[in-house]
Amino acid sequence: MKKRLGAAATLLSMGLLVVGVTAQDSRSSTLIYGGDWSGLITIDPGMSYEYAGSMVTNNVYETLVKFEGTDLSTLKPSIATRWTTKDMGDMWKVTFTLRSQKFASGNALTADDVVYTFDRAIAMKGPGSFLFTSVANMKVGSTKAINKNTVEVLLPKTASPAAFLNLLTFNIGGIVDSAVVKANVVNNDYGAAWLKRNSAGSGPFVVSRWDQNQAVVLDVNRNSRIKSVLTRVILREMKEANTQKIALESNEIDIADNLTPDMVKVKATDANFSVYKADSLNLQYLGMNVSDTSPFKDARVRQAVRYALDQDGIIKSLAGGNARKVQTIIPAGLFGFNAATPYTLNPEKAKELLKAAGKEAGFEFDMLTPQGACLAGIPCADLAAKIQSDLAKIGLKANVKQLVDSELYPLYRAQKATMVLVDWSPDFPDPDGNATPMSDFAAKSLAWRNVWNNPTAGKLAQQAALEPNPTKRAALYKQLTELQLEDGPFAILFQPTVSVTLAKTVKGYVRNAQNQVRFEKISK
Amino acid sequence: MLNYTIRRLFFVLFVVWGVSLATFFISQVVPGDPALAALGDKATDEMIANFRVKNGLDQPVYVQYFTYIGRLLQGDLGTSLRTGRPILDDLRDFFPGTLELSATALLIAALLGIPAGILAALNQNKAPDVIVRLLALLGGATPIYWLAILLLEFLHNKLRLLPGPGRLDAYLIAPPRVTGFVGLDALFAGDWQVLGDSLMHIILPAFVLGAFSSALLARMTRAAMLETLSQDFIRTARSKGVAETRVVIKHALRNAFLPVLTVLGGVLGGLLSGAVLTETIFSWPGIGRYTTDAAISLDFPAVMGVTLLAGMAYSLINLFTDLLYALFDPRITYA
Repeated sequence: MKKRLGAAATLLSMGLLVVGVTAQDSRSSTLIYGGDWSGLITIDPGMSYEYAGSMVTNNVYETLVKFEGTDLSTLKPSIATRWTTKDMGDMWKVTFTLRSQKFASGNALTADDVVYTFDRAIAMKGPGSFLFTSVANMKVGSTKAINKNTVEVLLPKTASPAAFLNLLTFNIGGIVDSAVVKANVVNNDYGAAWLKRNSAGSGPFVVSRWDQNQAVVLDVNRNSRIKSVLTRVILREMKEANTQKIALESNEIDIADNLTPDMVKVKATDANFSVYKADSLNLQYLGMNVSDTSPFKDARVRQAVRYALDQDGIIKSLAGGNARKVQTIIPAGLFGFNAATPYTLNPEKAKELLKAAGKEAGFEFDMLTPQGACLAGIPCADLAAKIQSDLAKIGLKANVKQLVDSELYPLYRAQKATMVLVDWSPDFPDPDGNATPMSDFAAKSLAWRNVWNNPTAGKLAQQAALEPNPTKRAALYKQLTELQLEDGPFAILFQPTVSVTLAKTVKGYVRNAQNQVRFEKISK
Repeated sequence: MLNYTIRRLFFVLFVVWGVSLATFFISQVVPGDPALAALGDKATDEMIANFRVKNGLDQPVYVQYFTYIGRLLQGDLGTSLRTGRPILDDLRDFFPGTLELSATALLIAALLGIPAGILAALNQNKAPDVIVRLLALLGGATPIYWLAILLLEFLHNKLRLLPGPGRLDAYLIAPPRVTGFVGLDALFAGDWQVLGDSLMHIILPAFVLGAFSSALLARMTRAAMLETLSQDFIRTARSKGVAETRVVIKHALRNAFLPVLTVLGGVLGGLLSGAVLTETIFSWPGIGRYTTDAAISLDFPAVMGVTLLAGMAYSLINLFTDLLYALFDPRITYA
């Protein structure tokens, strides 16, 4: 009896050991990434537009061209091994040569899949479709398969081929397996209902499961040419920073995406964790309405505001150093960035400018501010209070009006905000993502909202967008950013950095300013 | 009894209709633009116009309401502006999580609160009474988020006694969905590891959620028991030599239970309509978080779907509570 018990105990402990070792193995090849993924509403690259969606689609779908590491200025081959842009007189012809590779389904990826992907995205009119239709001026039919491995895209001369290539790195450029998607089309929906929750890509991972508001499980794609150390990545939804902190400390998650600046500061000094600081392309700015009835009509008043703002104080005290001081409209990290910061804190100079503009007595106005957190995790109320106090020192009385986004933006979009504290980020890593909206009144975007109609700026933005020669393009952006510094309706406050907290065991985490993280590069 | 139940069920329909009317018209006066909220700041005017047409937001209010009611009568709650999914599908995904959590919280609240209330009443103004009253006061006054973070930090992070946020360990994959209740689905699938893990995961959030209700139940039970224990029939029972346990359970508690039952019904209704804070802190995928996200993004069809569900749940719980009265008190009959 004793012997039997002993044998049973040995067997049981061996069994437990095997289970334990297997569990340990699966844990070392599984990455759990905690974050606020509540914005995830679709994983269809043709429809996905938000941050959480990008985190999935960037690892499940491949694009024709891509950026590597944190460099957003040099395009690298991906599905396309080479590409050329040819001036056809009235059109640009961009030709891609595709490598031979397979989708997760085992189907070969061909030029037909590229044509289907681009035409599908345009026809579905999803949130990101304007990149193809408005920025690249493409239509259904603009993309043609020349043979199995060659595809060409014809762009009108009103579009920038450089911007087109850059926007291909965004979600919408993710190439879908047309055979799989077509098999799941219901009521001519281009397979949107199916692709919303399933994947059909050639990237290093496939979506195995998505429990909304809980977790997305990505498993390695054995058919992908891109090999990954990790076999599984789980995006675990945790909205609260404190919940993420507790889960990270108890090894339940390997990465915490949204700890508060205070928590990050503590974790940076803890040997069990490391903090990755990523650049971002966002800009926090003040928009000033320059309409005839606005007190900010005179450019000298806008300059006075820029001289009155204590940017260093905002970055040091409110952002905890997690931001970069910039004053021009193209963010650092993008082609065309102008590092000039001519506006140093100088209330006296600001008062002189106000006097010259006939506003020495100061004036009162409403400053619209969103609720919740602004960039760099600063509560918008705190940032607004700081700006209010800075402006008060030169006699300007800002009445802070905190509104929910759904109230604030309709006012701003209707040119009804005298001053607004908001942020902006380009949709694709090209300076035109900021230059046109912020400079071209006719684009009916930020310049229009602030009633800033400067024909020179509009023309420069258009010229720079279309200029194929990098040297000439850089010169045009220099001219434009300098003009904006002098006359523009914006006071740029800062460009934040994003801090991600990692367990010490996590290696190879890199996040570029476009918020792209390649999971195949990570190990633990 | 049957007639009464049918009459009350009709009344439930009226309540639901009233709720739909009120929610719909409130949604019309809330400032903000649902199309802009759904599409984001960068949406072009054309995209916004298309969205309005697609979702019927360009129609006059009364047309929108009648379209909504027409669909509702066919069992269609509409499509969420935020997730783009049928609201019924969303509710089917999120409601079981809340029901699971609320039912466990109610069980914990009843198991803690009712015996504590009885104990306090039987020892009026003595040490057990003072302790129960103090705990009830603390339980009622402690903010949920504070208790949640404290317990997570202590029981999970420091002592490692209980698992942390989430419905399951992050490494475990939930079994195929049958009922939507992870524990039950694990049972059906014979996945004991997931079953055990899901039971461990529910303890902390359910306790946090149940703490406030248990305090309420303890105070209510104590007050009702004190009142009943001073009645003549209790004195008569005792003088007849009936055992004290029988006096307390059979005579006093049964009579004191009606007000407690009313509170229990209300508590369950409250829990079901969404434990936003608990669900957020514990990353619990339930209806509370779904509603918050929907409200922030002005997803009115989703908010209305949840409100209708909550209205229906409240009405049915009230009906059920009323029917239970007759079970506990034979003097009550419904015709």
